[in-house]
Amino acid sequence: MAGAPLEVLKRVPLLADLDRRELQQVAKLFKERSFPPGETVMKEGLGGAAFFVIESGEAIVSIGGNERRRLGPGDYFGEIALIDEGARTATVTAATELACYGLTLWEFGPVVRENGEIGWKLLQALAAKFRDVAQDA
Amino acid sequence: MKDVVPLVKARDEAIFGSKAVGLGEASREGLSLPPGVALSGSIVEAVASGEQRAIDKVMKAVRSLERPLAVRSSAVDEDGAQASFAGQHLTLLNVASDAGLTSALREIWWSANSDSAITYRQRVGLFTRPSVAVVIQSLLDPQVAGVMFTRNPISGVDERVIEASWGLGEAVVAGQVIPDHFRVSRSGDVLERTAGAKTIAIRTLPEGGTVEEKVAPELVERLCLDDDQLDELNRLADRCEEVYGPARDIEWAFRAGKLYLLQCRAVTRAGS
Repeated sequence: MAGAPLEVLKRVPLLADLDRRELQQVAKLFKERSFPPGETVMKEGLGGAAFFVIESGEAIVSIGGNERRRLGPGDYFGEIALIDEGARTATVTAATELACYGLTLWEFGPVVRENGEIGWKLLQALAAKFRDVAQDA
Repeated sequence: MKDVVPLVKARDEAIFGSKAVGLGEASREGLSLPPGVALSGSIVEAVASGEQRAIDKVMKAVRSLERPLAVRSSAVDEDGAQASFAGQHLTLLNVASDAGLTSALREIWWSANSDSAITYRQRVGLFTRPSVAVVIQSLLDPQVAGVMFTRNPISGVDERVIEASWGLGEAVVAGQVIPDHFRVSRSGDVLERTAGAKTIAIRTLPEGGTVEEKVAPELVERLCLDDDQLDELNRLADRCEEVYGPARDIEWAFRAGKLYLLQCRAVTRAGS
């Protein structure tokens, strides 16, 4: 099947509650993208074009040049700039060979609008991020 | 609608993009081009999505092309009068294998859907979903290549401006060398010959990709074009202006004594 393998997407908390048919529909929209170690996947301040889930490898998230956390298989990133159409809030760099599946902004909005479960999970994830920021402040 | 056609049949910019249609026009007019095919934006997206039928269709279409291949984006709204997408969308040279071609098409699709491309689109008021058509051609391994403006892009004077270097023209396009600089009048008189410092040449690798090769010291500052070649380039400029109109920005290459047109577009920079 074209798009992302279901077993990769099932590991993503955002998509975990979709039934098989819904997941198949969303999976078809993803496209494979890989990055060599050291490559900047997205840069803080730039506009956002895509949302990614990690199939394999590790990525470093940094803000203002300071490493904040590391991401691995099943993690996702890049959703915030697609939600508010603002700039990227962090820089993501491939720490190892990084295999991802990406969904561009042209598909991300419609997918979220059509799937309440994904929208709700996104809200929960954003709330968690907001709490992290509030605690750090 | 056909998604993959030989360059000579690429006629619709809305399907194959301006680069492919421009090369198609050149081919129909009898200009010498490396053989190639044009892919529609929809088949490129299908290949990027991993659809096997689309991948098979592309591989069948390129079977007769001599490898390695040059794979270039021909986005539907790029190279237009309003905005230049030069540098935003990827070109991949020296693609040797079928797997390499699939991966190249995916990378090109992503280059038009990257953060920087989208930011650029927002900035120039083209915030629409990009359609990324592609041109696939046999990659020449030229002795000399470069760019030519059919009218001086800085002064606007009616003269040819030619920049040339050893090997693939990407060394000139990407500013990796100080190229030889020539000015030629419309009637063919050479007005200026200035040798550059051509310290590297970009060459193809057998396994795919390219390499920067050091140029032999005696060739670094030796002019890489003679007067006969400048005359041929001047005639190519004439033909391109006849076919496409005035003020063209041309990429060209000499291989085995023969001049090839690689690309021809309207000048979009200062002075145009």
